[in-house]
Amino acid sequence: MNKHLKILKIFAGSSVSAQMEYRANFIVQMISSLVAFVGALLGLSVLFGDDAGLGGWSLLEAQVLVGVFLLLEGLTEVLVYPNVRKIAEMVRTGTMDFTLLKPIDSQFSVSSRNVNVFAFPNVLLGFGLMVYALIKLGNVSWTGILLSIPMLLSALTIIYCICFILITTAFWFVKVENIIELFWGFFRAGQFPITAFPAGGARILFTYIVPIAFITTVPAQALIGKISLESVLASLGIASVLFVASRLFWKFALKSYTSASS
Amino acid sequence: MTLQTPLEPKPDKMSRSSLIWRKFKVLFQVWLAHMTAYRGEIIIWMLVGMVPLIMMGVWIGKAQANGGSQGGFDSADFAAYFIGTWLANQMTVVWIVWEMDFQIRQGTLSSKLLRPIHPIWEFFASHVTERFVRFPPVFALIGVAWWLAPKGTVLTPDLTHFLLFLLSITLAFLIRFTLSSIFGTLSFWTESSTALDELYYVLAIFLSGTFAPLEFFPKVVQDVVQYTPFPYIISYPVQILTGKLPDSRLLEVLGLQCLWVLAFGVLAAWLWKIGIKKYGAVGA
Repeated sequence: MNKHLKILKIFAGSSVSAQMEYRANFIVQMISSLVAFVGALLGLSVLFGDDAGLGGWSLLEAQVLVGVFLLLEGLTEVLVYPNVRKIAEMVRTGTMDFTLLKPIDSQFSVSSRNVNVFAFPNVLLGFGLMVYALIKLGNVSWTGILLSIPMLLSALTIIYCICFILITTAFWFVKVENIIELFWGFFRAGQFPITAFPAGGARILFTYIVPIAFITTVPAQALIGKISLESVLASLGIASVLFVASRLFWKFALKSYTSASS
Repeated sequence: MTLQTPLEPKPDKMSRSSLIWRKFKVLFQVWLAHMTAYRGEIIIWMLVGMVPLIMMGVWIGKAQANGGSQGGFDSADFAAYFIGTWLANQMTVVWIVWEMDFQIRQGTLSSKLLRPIHPIWEFFASHVTERFVRFPPVFALIGVAWWLAPKGTVLTPDLTHFLLFLLSITLAFLIRFTLSSIFGTLSFWTESSTALDELYYVLAIFLSGTFAPLEFFPKVVQDVVQYTPFPYIISYPVQILTGKLPDSRLLEVLGLQCLWVLAFGVLAAWLWKIGIKKYGAVGA
């Protein structure tokens, strides 16, 4: 464990110093993040303009949810995305060999090699909105906050596993970098509570097939104290199953890896 | 020092115009073959642009919860609007800024400059041919969306409106293409050109009418966007498609679309002219 923490520190350090080469981009990206943030708030005000709420969520509750969405989107951009994107490239060019030769777990190594520090402001904006809306809501319970931590971790695990499983197909199909974009496409649905969608197809899709409901709706429900025991268990269950699946799939894929030149 | 494209040999038998015609024909044939080879990837990219369909779900849900309609739109109106928005977004996808950023930074633009045709036409050909490869799956998916949409959804009232939409969306594509070329030419000076295009995208989700029909935004936002290109890229073409734009405003909208194309085109050409000098100067 200690070894892994040390490695994490080295990985983070080297990837941060590499990105500092491109400082100018940071400013434009910051403006982009701020605009997206203002846009999200404007969007909420449009949807809630009539005070009728959305799928049983009040404006402030929906702001908590959008906060959760931005927080997780930011964390994905910082921690998950820069790594999974590289995996397909490593398989295609054969540099995966170097990773496999190293005496650390290969899934750990490919999943933690890079950090995108430039996306960190998104994490702060999301967290800020979440806390602000919670304070304005008032009646926040400690149970809710304590419960939200495992729910957020489980949401992040679900995101990581889906992306990781998708990109692992790179061992068989050559060009799959863009397959991750598909997940992003669906992920956008997470800025709305699952009950905002009309009953039927869309809700089933976002609960069972692409489990967006467990990524944002459930952690937000925990924070505002409207979560059911079934949701907690289902969230932890889905995250565990996906994690085991991602691990088994990775091991299976490695067996069919023959490097780029052979 | 300027980097000049070498002059083409004087055509002996062929007239100048037929030579140009032949160049473009070859260019488009090559790019069509290229894009057809990448059809799998094009379908993935097509599915990535889910935002209008997600918004369709949310607004229909909102209308249903509100007793059938919301701000003058019932479920069928929302369905028609957002299916149209999806189509408009698909038809105006542009990636020229990534292409230019890459080619200028890596220097691969140099070999393009040696060809007897301006590089911008090659970018243009790749976008236009891609659109033709994209058409069949886009219309298949629209069929599915229409089948799933609430009963009584009228995507377009008649053929005339659909044809006018095709004209308007072509102009919308040209606005987006010339605007993105402006960002692309900035790659001669900065590494942030792609970030600028992403900033455009974030703004466009709201201001072009992808998130909600513009009528739902505060009055001041509605007034201000009229002076920006955003509604001319998605909102107006979709209003023409669904027949919501009054006929009296049709010429005005199409005219303003032409003006935006012209303004951005001239600016992009000028930036290219001074940028390419700098590109030659760094010796790439």
